[in-house]
Amino acid sequence: MAVILENIPVGAGWKKVRLAWDGEKLRPGQFMMLKIPGMDPLLGRPISIFDWNEEEKTVDFLYQVVGRGTQIIADMAPGREIDLQGPYGNGFPLVDGDVTLIGGGVGIAPLYRLAKCLKEADPARHVRVHLGFRETALMKEAYESVADEVLINIGGFVTDDVDYTEDRILYTCGPTPMMEVAARKAREQGRTIYVSLENRMACGVGACLACSCKTIKGNKRVCKDGPVFEGQEVFYE
Amino acid sequence: MSDRLKTTLFGVEMKNPVIAASGTFGFGREYAELFDISRLGGISGKGLTLHGGPGNQGIRVWETPSGIMNSIGLENPGVDAFVATECDYMRQSGAAVVANLGGHSKEDYLEGAARLNEADVDILELNISCPNVKAGGMAFGMIPETAEEITRAVKEVTRFPLLVKLSPNASDIVGVAKAVEAGGADGVSLVNTFLGMAIDINKRKAVFNNVYAGVSGPAIRPIALRMVHQVAKAVKIPVVGLGGIATAEDAISFIMAGAAAIQVGTMTLASPKVILDIIDGMEAWCEKEGIANIQEIRGII
Repeated sequence: MAVILENIPVGAGWKKVRLAWDGEKLRPGQFMMLKIPGMDPLLGRPISIFDWNEEEKTVDFLYQVVGRGTQIIADMAPGREIDLQGPYGNGFPLVDGDVTLIGGGVGIAPLYRLAKCLKEADPARHVRVHLGFRETALMKEAYESVADEVLINIGGFVTDDVDYTEDRILYTCGPTPMMEVAARKAREQGRTIYVSLENRMACGVGACLACSCKTIKGNKRVCKDGPVFEGQEVFYE
Repeated sequence: MSDRLKTTLFGVEMKNPVIAASGTFGFGREYAELFDISRLGGISGKGLTLHGGPGNQGIRVWETPSGIMNSIGLENPGVDAFVATECDYMRQSGAAVVANLGGHSKEDYLEGAARLNEADVDILELNISCPNVKAGGMAFGMIPETAEEITRAVKEVTRFPLLVKLSPNASDIVGVAKAVEAGGADGVSLVNTFLGMAIDINKRKAVFNNVYAGVSGPAIRPIALRMVHQVAKAVKIPVVGLGGIATAEDAISFIMAGAAAIQVGTMTLASPKVILDIIDGMEAWCEKEGIANIQEIRGII
């Protein structure tokens, strides 16, 4: 069980929860299962890791209140405990060179720590972040603190703003149609793109096959083989 | 650990009567990364079909109060891949190995069972109760006559003790249990999932592409317990009880109702280590109650 240290609103329907964590090393793009104690709801909520602090032994999750489970988490006060399972999933590969990150909606969450890790690995590189929102931009300053450039799109198609000819490697996380477009445009320019998929999960560890997705290499488990895949390998549904 | 939980099922010695249920534990590899799976009494592997398959399209899992619905549709690598790469892994886990076999036709079942004879497993669990694929076995498990026929045919082919997994969707599960006993089953496991339904009112559509899906988890436990009790009273072969078991108390209640062993499924998906808590809790309860072996309380209700 992990203690909730803070659980603060960051915008309409969005919250950031900080939990005590002194477990194993985390990687950007991995997720954890936030399991509310008790039997109802029964399953953990798979939520991307937003950030962590090794010295203070904390892990942060940025989440959107979309259903009953996330509402219960949103209502939990600091001091309460939640069953924190994981880390699960492969996470993003950390490449060399200049990069472009494309996030849509709450899919921006894993890109924060990704940008931070990429800059830490090579401070000289250029990290450009595109963030797409339906109505209001959120967390802009936070992303500006870890990236060289943050470009916001509100109400439109964030994928239209991206210059796919510029950087060799792109990363994306967000709604499936957005990632599908980003992957197609990246392919047209011969760029590599890593997509972080989201799918309805049960176990989170690769056992139940609830989250299977179709790829050119056959069915893959989003939770265990992913959630990060090469964009051209995935059949978007 | 003492011998308080030691259980022998069809001549197979198990450290305890707690088996990971088919479809919730893969072939053990994923959970072995999280805890010591050798502590389990047994593992029933992911449900196999002769040629394997990609499973169902669309949403595959949905929550319901204190339970889940699933429509995975038996995504699996097929019997040959199991024989080649998975069964040896399961064997070295140290838990008793149960191969779970489903089928689309009688021929599939028989060919699958024949090829599984090459595998090193302890028990064959025959799935005649999966509700999520067309003729995915449930058709065989709905009425006593077909259940008995498929059991007899597979029993002639297999070299393993035969555990037949029953559907709670049969109109007369006791009748089906008696029929598979007559067909030569060495035991029965029950219950598989209950056929349920969910609707997305905003899309005005059923949630699942197959419309109906299997309900499992603590929500269905009292019904499962009642069925285990009824079946255990009606047959002489061992009964393996499952259905929403979440705690040691639940597991012990199934044994009191007549189960020789129990399976834990849905709860593993929610909290992977619950199965170890169940084993520890059963051991502690036996010690507290001065019970030398858990089988002493089997069927006392």
